[in-house]
Amino acid sequence: MKVVIAGAGEVGTHLARMLSHENHDIVLMDNDPEKLAQISREVDLMTVTGSAHSFVDLKETGLNKADLFIAVTTSEERNVLACAMASYLGVARTIARINNSEYLQARYREKLKNMGIHEFIYPESLAAKEIVSSVKLTGTRQYFEFSGGKLILMGIKIRGNAPIVNRPLEELGSLLKDIVAVSISRGNENIIPSGKDMILSGDVVYFVTNRSTQQRLFELTGKELFEVKNIMFLGGSRIAQKTIEKLGDNYRIKVIEVNRERCSMIADQFENVLVINGDGRNLDLLQEEGLAKMDAFIATTGSSEVNLLSCHLAKSIGIKRTVAEVENFALINTAENMDIGTIVNKKLIAASYIYRFTLNAEISNVKCLTSSEAEVFEFIAKPGTRIIEKPVRELDFPSEAKLGGIIRGDQGFVASGNMQVQEGDKVVVFTVPSGMKKLEKFFK
Amino acid sequence: MNYKTIFRIVGLMLLVEGAALLISLLIAWLAGGSDVMAFAWSSLACLVPGLLLVMATRKSSMMISRTEGFLIVTLVWLIFSLFGTLPYIFSRTIPGFADAFFETMSGFTTTGASVVDNLETFPKGILFWRALTHWLGGMGIIVLFLTMMPAFGIGGMQLYSAEVPGMTVEKISPRIYQTARIVWGVYVLLTLVEVVLLMFGGMSLFDSVCHAFATMATGGFSTKQASIAFWPSPYIQYVITLFMFLAGTNFTLLYFAGRGKFSRLFRDEEFRYYFLFVLGFTILIFSGLLISTKLPAEQAFRDSLFTVVSVITTTGFVTADYLMWRPVLYMLVFILFFFGGSTGSTGGGVKIMRIVLLLKNSYYELRRIIHPSGVIPVKFNKHAIEPRVISNVLAFFMFYLMVFFVSTVILMIFVGDMDTSMGAVASCLGNIGPGLGSVGPVFTYSAVPDAGKVFLSLLMMLGRLELFTVLVIFSPSFWTDQ
Repeated sequence: MKVVIAGAGEVGTHLARMLSHENHDIVLMDNDPEKLAQISREVDLMTVTGSAHSFVDLKETGLNKADLFIAVTTSEERNVLACAMASYLGVARTIARINNSEYLQARYREKLKNMGIHEFIYPESLAAKEIVSSVKLTGTRQYFEFSGGKLILMGIKIRGNAPIVNRPLEELGSLLKDIVAVSISRGNENIIPSGKDMILSGDVVYFVTNRSTQQRLFELTGKELFEVKNIMFLGGSRIAQKTIEKLGDNYRIKVIEVNRERCSMIADQFENVLVINGDGRNLDLLQEEGLAKMDAFIATTGSSEVNLLSCHLAKSIGIKRTVAEVENFALINTAENMDIGTIVNKKLIAASYIYRFTLNAEISNVKCLTSSEAEVFEFIAKPGTRIIEKPVRELDFPSEAKLGGIIRGDQGFVASGNMQVQEGDKVVVFTVPSGMKKLEKFFK
Repeated sequence: MNYKTIFRIVGLMLLVEGAALLISLLIAWLAGGSDVMAFAWSSLACLVPGLLLVMATRKSSMMISRTEGFLIVTLVWLIFSLFGTLPYIFSRTIPGFADAFFETMSGFTTTGASVVDNLETFPKGILFWRALTHWLGGMGIIVLFLTMMPAFGIGGMQLYSAEVPGMTVEKISPRIYQTARIVWGVYVLLTLVEVVLLMFGGMSLFDSVCHAFATMATGGFSTKQASIAFWPSPYIQYVITLFMFLAGTNFTLLYFAGRGKFSRLFRDEEFRYYFLFVLGFTILIFSGLLISTKLPAEQAFRDSLFTVVSVITTTGFVTADYLMWRPVLYMLVFILFFFGGSTGSTGGGVKIMRIVLLLKNSYYELRRIIHPSGVIPVKFNKHAIEPRVISNVLAFFMFYLMVFFVSTVILMIFVGDMDTSMGAVASCLGNIGPGLGSVGPVFTYSAVPDAGKVFLSLLMMLGRLELFTVLVIFSPSFWTDQ
């Protein structure tokens, strides 16, 4: 697939890198040749220096032969305009990055589609959604639903108190009925587990299960669920504002923000929020504002380092739930080792959202995992493919991939060896990037 | 340093060379020459170690770092040239190793300097192999390799930029292997057209193919001792002039021109200067010839145009012995030794773009002295060029001059005479072919001692890979900063 990306910012370059590795042909445009030179030293793509809202420059990218146009420059207006222009120049599909939920409303969508802007991506909103789900579901690091919750993916940090720790998975037998461990992140390593692998304390394990077994999984992993009431936000960034909006009125929220203007803006916008003007790095201030009494601590300042360190601090004084926004990829692994709870990365979320528009027909959904290089795919089992020939046990599935479960009609089934995939099923599969090629053979 | 990957690529390249030798074997067999067995053994000598290397290095990674890229390209060129000597040695056409190495390196680097004094006695297979070394080296053996290897990704980019002449790599297509395919496609197409046009002028199929290979690669090996002067037909000489000129043009521009975007050709500043230099020097030499000799006007024009294009594109075909002209005229030709073709062409030398940037920068320096606080960037194609690029060009030119002078001194130890040494060094470093003095257009390099020949061969490689790719390997930080 040929993809044109406008804007070589963080989201744009991450997307370009990811899609290029997936064998898509990428043309990246930006008006800063310096940024383009940087990325073209690292990724095999073509770059065009120019403005995203100039017809001449857009034509340079060969848009009329492209399948997808993604506008992720810093300015919303430019993205929307660029998408409309790109559609006019003949690209099949366009995606604009926005920072205003108005565009997402159903009643305007038709109008916008007529203008040639087909899809929207709102990274802050997506990130806020992840934060909300991790605040509401206190046991998990990452929570993801397939087909409206028929199957659930949960990333859980395992501690020493979990009953399943230090035992080979095959020994656990019936304990793990309707639960599949699909991916284990240990330090920088990433394991697609087989029966002989063990779950150790400190691992982040991704499980596939269903709603009714969810509770049992929390017991097996030694998680005590608790209700979150008091939340402290460090930094009143756009993500924080969006999260507060999505959380609703049932929480007691404090926001610490260093910028006075932004403080008054947030205070003006939200009723049930106490805004405090101060520097989040000031420990005394945090203590004074009752950091110790908080159930959850969410750090979304512009600085990944500040977010990491403050979450570390919050954890060390006993706050159970912490969420840090870490935009610096190099820091994500460090963060995992520092034990600081959930990590949210806007770029990763946005990229994995856009990723689904580049997929083949047989894949209906995809999700990138924050603290693991594995990806989750939802394949549709087509007639005549290898996946439906035999029961799962006899399939000779690649070791880099793991079957999580299937969704047949209205029901979700967690994977087991005797299961046989049928035509039309949605199949949830985990794989590290190197397994993708082998995996595709089963669905083609 | 990932030696496994390096050896794998060297192994794969040996297979490519083995395949090229098999093609020559076919030609030799069709011509019924005495060189069939020589090619059979040579291709075996490439294929066997190639296969062994490839088998021994299975499961090596496809990632290539910048530094590995430089090392791989240099190694590949060296090894390609070493194995390329085999047909000459086995067929006893050029029995000495130093001679054969010189001839092969001169082929792959598209220099076109020869040590052969009895070309007419050579079997057809060997003549074809000589031309084929040009053709493979012209667009680049690594680039050819990349067209067959889509899997390299950004690693391919490191190799590509280490081999392709010019300062920046201009991609026509998102993937480097696609770009490599397009460029090779243009190259193959132009070669075919030239073959047809030459045959139309009465050249035999075999001679047309060999000369088309040598022209499009800006090489200079002919199948005749007298080079193009063997065919006095103005038609043939003009056709070759035209294709030499095209081969010295940026292939990206040719690709766009071929797709109907002719305006891009003349909008490109490098092409405009290239055209102007050719025009200017031709007029100067033409008028010089008219004044100083009794040649008919048409022939004087043809000789001067042919010589100017042949030298500026670094081809080195000969229709007239410029050393028989007035010294001022052959001095003009010698100045052209330092020009070279366009970036992204098959021509060698310093390259038009670098020359233009150097001239502009020096000229602007005068204005900068008058306006100490002025912001006066060097512009090229209507864009300001970054100071880092200018400094790169200055460093390149300094290296070029340094290598030129030091090598001239070294060569004078073997040769003795200054004209010959300067001409030989400038000619080999710029991948041109004929030089001055006793290596002039009507002579060969056979009189140079063996040590001098090996030295000149290495200079050809240095020039073909544009100094930096090779020199960087000898910098201490290349090995310590890993």
